[in-house]
Amino acid sequence: MNGTYFLSLIIFSPLLGIILLAFVPKTQEQTIKLLGFLATLPSLILALFAFVQYLRGYDLNRLAEKHNWIHFGKFSFLTESTFAVDYELNVDGFALVMIVLTALLATLAAVASIHIKKEWKGYFMLFLLLEIGMLGVFAAGNLLLFFIFFEITLIPMFFLIGKWGYFEKEKAAYSYLIYNGIGSAILLIVILILFARTGTSNISLLKEMLHNPAAKAQLIAPISNDLQYGLFIALLVAFGVKLPIVPLHRWMLRVHVQAPPSIVMLHSGVLLKIGAFGLIRFGLGLFPEQFRHFALFIAILGVVNLLYGAFLAFTQDDFKMVLAYSSISHMGIVLIGLGALNEAGIQGAIFQVVSHGFISALLFLLVSIFYERAHTTMLGNLGGAAKAMPLTAGFLLAGAMASLGLPGMSGFISEFTAFLGLFKVAPIIAAIGTIGIIMTAAYLLRAVLNITYGTAKRDYREVVDIQVIEIVPVLVLLGLIIFIGVYPHILAHPLQATIETMLDGLGG
Amino acid sequence: MMENAWLIPLFPLFSFLILLLVGKRMKETSAYVGIIMTFLSFIGAVAVLLERLDAPTYKAEQVWFTIGSIKITAGFEVNALNALMLVVVSLVSFLVHIYSKGYMHGDDRFSVFYAYLGLFTFAMLGLVMSPNLLQTYVFWELVGLGSFLLIGFYFYKEEAKAAAKKAFIMTRIGDVGLLIGMILLFWQAGSFEYDHIFAAVKAGNVSQTMITLSAILIFIGAVGKSGQFPLHTWLPDAMEGPTPVSALIHAATMVAAGVYLVAALFPLYEASETAMLTVAIVGGFTAIFAASIGLVQTDIKRVLAYSTVSQLGYMMLALGSGGYVAGIFHLTTHAFFKALLFLAAGSVIHAVQTQDIEKMGGLWRKMPLTAPLFLIGTLAISGVPLLSGFFSKDEILVAAWTHGHSVLFWIAVLAAFFTAFYMFRLFFLVFSGEGRHEAKEVHESPAVMTFPMIVLSVLAIFSGYINTPWFGTFLGDWLTDEGFAHEEAPSWIMVVATVVSLLGILLAWLMYGRRSLARDWLSSRAPLTYNVLFNKYYIDEFYAMTFGYVTKFISVLCKYIDRFVVEGIAVAIAAITKAIGAFGARLQNGQVQMYGAVTLIGLTILVVILAFTGGYL
Repeated sequence: MNGTYFLSLIIFSPLLGIILLAFVPKTQEQTIKLLGFLATLPSLILALFAFVQYLRGYDLNRLAEKHNWIHFGKFSFLTESTFAVDYELNVDGFALVMIVLTALLATLAAVASIHIKKEWKGYFMLFLLLEIGMLGVFAAGNLLLFFIFFEITLIPMFFLIGKWGYFEKEKAAYSYLIYNGIGSAILLIVILILFARTGTSNISLLKEMLHNPAAKAQLIAPISNDLQYGLFIALLVAFGVKLPIVPLHRWMLRVHVQAPPSIVMLHSGVLLKIGAFGLIRFGLGLFPEQFRHFALFIAILGVVNLLYGAFLAFTQDDFKMVLAYSSISHMGIVLIGLGALNEAGIQGAIFQVVSHGFISALLFLLVSIFYERAHTTMLGNLGGAAKAMPLTAGFLLAGAMASLGLPGMSGFISEFTAFLGLFKVAPIIAAIGTIGIIMTAAYLLRAVLNITYGTAKRDYREVVDIQVIEIVPVLVLLGLIIFIGVYPHILAHPLQATIETMLDGLGG
Repeated sequence: MMENAWLIPLFPLFSFLILLLVGKRMKETSAYVGIIMTFLSFIGAVAVLLERLDAPTYKAEQVWFTIGSIKITAGFEVNALNALMLVVVSLVSFLVHIYSKGYMHGDDRFSVFYAYLGLFTFAMLGLVMSPNLLQTYVFWELVGLGSFLLIGFYFYKEEAKAAAKKAFIMTRIGDVGLLIGMILLFWQAGSFEYDHIFAAVKAGNVSQTMITLSAILIFIGAVGKSGQFPLHTWLPDAMEGPTPVSALIHAATMVAAGVYLVAALFPLYEASETAMLTVAIVGGFTAIFAASIGLVQTDIKRVLAYSTVSQLGYMMLALGSGGYVAGIFHLTTHAFFKALLFLAAGSVIHAVQTQDIEKMGGLWRKMPLTAPLFLIGTLAISGVPLLSGFFSKDEILVAAWTHGHSVLFWIAVLAAFFTAFYMFRLFFLVFSGEGRHEAKEVHESPAVMTFPMIVLSVLAIFSGYINTPWFGTFLGDWLTDEGFAHEEAPSWIMVVATVVSLLGILLAWLMYGRRSLARDWLSSRAPLTYNVLFNKYYIDEFYAMTFGYVTKFISVLCKYIDRFVVEGIAVAIAAITKAIGAFGARLQNGQVQMYGAVTLIGLTILVVILAFTGGYL
């Protein structure tokens, strides 16, 4: 494995697809869909290759890339590297897992995109651009690069929702843009303040400068304790929009309901996770002191998210809304784990990030398959679908079981580990949180059984069950969910180093 | 064989996977896959049991995954209790697999049924050989899944859908208790391992409060699974599932898992008097409570379901009174005679196509095999001397008398009377007198169905002899490593037990057999009591009025908060932004004076900021 351009290759290989798509006439549906799908493969293959190599002991530091990029000013008092923004990429175990998740979900979402009805060319070009942004976010070595990739995801997403969504797609797209725009603006302010005070935006260098007393002397300008708290809270809000933390969640409901399901697979599976990733990487990584002070508050936010989402999911009439609130509820587990701030908690939070990525992607894939046949996801109009579509119904039930944390599936491991962590530090809060476990079962069974069990409320005679091309991605996701649930070591092992580093930052 | 005991649960898992993949094409030959695989499990279980009879406990474990420095292990353990449970579970499962071939004949989803049975059997066998609490929890949930799928097997029926959902959620409430208790114990004892927990408790490393708290929390899990009051309501509804399922899951195996769990954690419970008392009281109350409901029900399966709840209460009472052996002994004999009763009931339902006992009657002659087999089960559960139930029930009464509270003892005696009465009421209504059913031709069930019942009836008669005060307490000695001393209890207990059971039978015979007592004796004299009993003490209605409404209320409240408060704030912020924008737009009026003024104000603000902060915050 030649390290020098490997990460760039993973991130930018979808670009090749975009260029090739530009030369395909927009009426050639089959070619466009095939090309769109194929363009996601190089990233996936390379990412899996890197992952396997890492499991076999490859040192990820050798993948790091660095090239000179932007330099500000030529003042005598500045050294060569100060106020320089380089193009630098690097990954650790956590980032690599996220890259594999992203590349995999992108491929599967590309398969699920067969249900897209119009303007395939534009769709797939934006789709691939979105993938570049998502992959880049996880590999970025400095804050500015992170921000650029973060913004790259915003634009294609806006158009994908606004153009290929359902009835209220425009409103959803604007809502998405405004909320995330505000989040981005706050993030940018934080990044710029850090950059101005320290003279660098390199993440590992920043860690050093903020905590090593010797390095603190080299700051361009001092960063007071109050300012650190301010910056931390700003980060919490910025990534809280993305995650989302209640009450910053309204935008994502619209996106879940209005965007095409194949895009929601990526949105719920990866984009929301950027919020968690940012919170862990920057909130916890750069401001461990502040994070510790806010830990209990974050745990409470987590319980609020968990319960609020669960109770709301219980009253929804639209299956997509149930899943949207379910995502909010499940992100509560991430916060619960982070709030625990011990080995178990942090591992549980990261497990949940990955596990929920697969599970929500699976559920939205099934929504896409189901909508294609029933043309509605309103619970009141559905029922008894298991008779006409036994396989689809079975997969839907399996997805619900994964989501409600059935042991043997990945959701259980993450939920259990996160709660294990929180029970150590705050048993009462954790005990309140466990109500969420019951409610999750209640709302998921209510929704799924309403669709698949009971008497049929509509005519399913014309309906055919799930097709082979749709089964493959479903099986891949379900297989991974079960694999992680049965053999969690596959995730625990690559994450170990990352978690240890974080706990070191916390000072044990 | 003991070191290969892990193979035992894998056979049914294999059956599940095979049938999931190719079951549709195999149609009814699917049954053979399931039967052969569970038979292999049964053979393995018997081999393990025989080896364990005079060998020490075998345990194998390895690291499952790590959480930082914490190592979570997985493996299996063959101790006396586990070896016994393996045989009971695999045997009943094997027999039910055979029986179902006849019972489910002609069903569209025949292979799916067998697949689910395989999944359940796998999980149940895995549960009873888990060496630690976490692994127990994993299989605990998986048996719940198996139960859920099989209750909802007739998914197109609204009742089945509701029952499946209810079973899952009610048991999950209990499961959360188990989860919390387990995690609390983990942080106290530093491990999920049964051995380590017991060692920590013994060494006094766990505070008394913590022992009591976690023991009671874990007991909540057992309450959910074993249908104990107040989480019992799902079990009677679970009768919506096919009858073989009721026999396997909701009589013999899964519902006994709660009893098994308390037994497996017995040293923990013994360390806390409060926890023991809680178990005993909940068990004793459930025993009498469910039996009283069983007196007036008219659905054959529901009578048996309430009887199961009541008998499980008996087992809990035994454990709570310190009767470790008594509890497990009754679990074993109950598994056989209750499975027999359910299978026989299934045979009857199969023949007359109804579950309403008011519409049965006169089947003694028409079902010459089923009827006597059902009678054997009825005699066994009623505690008639020399049958299995007599010995195990006696053991429980002895335990309750010597260690428990005397009130609990008399409750248990009364419950035994009720049991004998409602079981023979059932028997007489179904088999004696004139036929009240609409089915024209009533046939005895095929041999594939009667064979398993015959095997079970033999066990229902003779399985009691593994532990009797007369011939030897083999089971007790073995379960407790010779440390078991059969309490020298007053011999009148056995007499009392026999008398109440015979009285119950006599009363049932007078009312429903000979009919010299009016049948509406209770309903005419105390209509209120009758209605309360018939409507199961209105517990379901009570839950719907309280927990149901509270949940709905919170949900709707959240919904409005979300729609108006949260969204309202967002709209307000948007409005403020818009207002600022509109204000800014008005400044753009093309007049130089205005622009000059704005520039000056802006500059002033910037200068002030610079002066105060030096450019940095």
